[in-house]
Amino acid sequence: MAKEVKPTRKNLMAIEDRIELSERGHDTLEKKRDGLIMEFMDILDQAQEVRENVDDQYQRAQRAINMARAMEGDVAVRGAASALKEHPEITSESKNIMGVVVPQIESSKVQKDLDERGYGVLGTSARIDEAAEAYEDLLETIILAAEVETAMKKMLEEIEKTKRRVNALEFKLLPDLYSSQEYIEQKLEEQEREEIFRMKKIKAKKEEEEDADHLTTDEEEETEEPLTADD
Amino acid sequence: MSAARGTANYEYVTSRVRSRRASLFDADDYRKLVRMGPGEIARFMEETEYETEMNALGSRFEGVDLIEYALNRNLAKHFDDLLNWADGALYGYLARYLRKFDAWNVKTTFRGIYSDADPSEIEDDLITAGELSETLLSRLVDAGSIEEAVDLLDGTLFADALDEAYELYEQESLLVPLENAVDRAYYADLMANLPSEPNRAEELYLQFLRAEIDFRNLRNALRISRSGADIDPAEFYIDGGRLFDATTLRQLASNPDELVARVRESVYGDELDATLDALAEADDLIAFEHALDAALLSYSDTLSNRYPLSVCPVLAYVLAKEREVDNVRAIARGREAGLDPEEIETELVIA
Repeated sequence: MAKEVKPTRKNLMAIEDRIELSERGHDTLEKKRDGLIMEFMDILDQAQEVRENVDDQYQRAQRAINMARAMEGDVAVRGAASALKEHPEITSESKNIMGVVVPQIESSKVQKDLDERGYGVLGTSARIDEAAEAYEDLLETIILAAEVETAMKKMLEEIEKTKRRVNALEFKLLPDLYSSQEYIEQKLEEQEREEIFRMKKIKAKKEEEEDADHLTTDEEEETEEPLTADD
Repeated sequence: MSAARGTANYEYVTSRVRSRRASLFDADDYRKLVRMGPGEIARFMEETEYETEMNALGSRFEGVDLIEYALNRNLAKHFDDLLNWADGALYGYLARYLRKFDAWNVKTTFRGIYSDADPSEIEDDLITAGELSETLLSRLVDAGSIEEAVDLLDGTLFADALDEAYELYEQESLLVPLENAVDRAYYADLMANLPSEPNRAEELYLQFLRAEIDFRNLRNALRISRSGADIDPAEFYIDGGRLFDATTLRQLASNPDELVARVRESVYGDELDATLDALAEADDLIAFEHALDAALLSYSDTLSNRYPLSVCPVLAYVLAKEREVDNVRAIARGREAGLDPEEIETELVIA
């Protein structure tokens, strides 16, 4: 890159400006990356907890439905499940964590009261209630997991992007700029030295010429003087 | 299914029921079954009285589904036999009690229509042990809407209750009011038109039904109380029991300790004493429901031993047969789900 830059004072100033801007950008991005990592670690802890909850609640829900199928029969459980057509409502909003837009998922009508599950209370049992409740809990946790995992994924992408930018600045752009700056400085110094040398040369030449002129004048004067005396 | 005619033939029916009861699986059979896999259970059943149903359904279902459908079909066959044997008042008592399968079929049909299930799938889930004719059931299954199904039930014991509940269903688009109406109509019919001064047979029938209604009220009150939902327990109260009226149940449901104390002091206190202790300690409603089933079974046995020539042995057989079906299904489903034999054994209710 350095060789592509014209070694002019104007370019040097422009590069120095870019260096200053890039260094500031580098510091800011580093801070952003560190901040994102800290936020990510918090979300990671939350995600691990939510994942464990999903596992536990899935096991609990599976067990509850197995027991309900065993004690009440598959037909009764399927029947109770089909007595409700209404689906839980899920709305998604977004929130901003250090410039990263992550979803905020709100759910409603997941947890239901005994008389909202569709099946009649009089002809069913606590086994079916237990299975329904376990699946409602599981669904709530899955929704939370979706929110946390998406936030984690987006944070991770942003961290990667910021890291790439920091690295690009640190290992590519800034070194190139420094190298261009050094190149231009060297070139300018060289040009300066050349200029000085040239000036010196010119000066010396001028002095030589002047000296030569003086000599010629003196000689001429010396040649003319005896004639005038003899005359 | 024969209609009620002549005088009640308790001697004939109870003697046949005794023989049927003797062929039910015993504790040894269950001990063997819980150690078998689903395939072995199916083979075991093929060598018992479930053979006909297993063979008939073998081409359509497989695995534990085959076992469950065969159990249901066999149950329906046995109860149909009971109604064919019974005459007079005994037929009336039995038919009323077995209308719980009509209630089951109506609810299953509603659920199927509501969830746009295939009519053949709905038909598979019916248990034809009640009084509704196969033609009516078939028309119900093919009904295009809940409204059409409700109209088809005009003239049955569910008609009035469903007409009232249908408005609520239209408002809420939930099956809850219809299902509750069906169950409520069933329980109302059980106790309807019995004389104010019942004879011995009617008295025994009432005694058994009141126990069942009390236990149903008790379990529903506890379910509502534990669910924490803002539901009035009186809305789900079934009239006809001995233990509670709607107001008492409303008051007691908000205070489960008092509810338990009330049951402890009741006629069922001795039968449920240990279970009530467990409920108070472990807070386990499912175990309590389980114990209520066992207590009802044991109570029906006590009544049938005390009055062997009455409706009681027949109703006790109905409960015992249902329990056998529940037990075998629990074992098969439990084994399919990978539960330990010991764990399954705790879930069985063996008379």
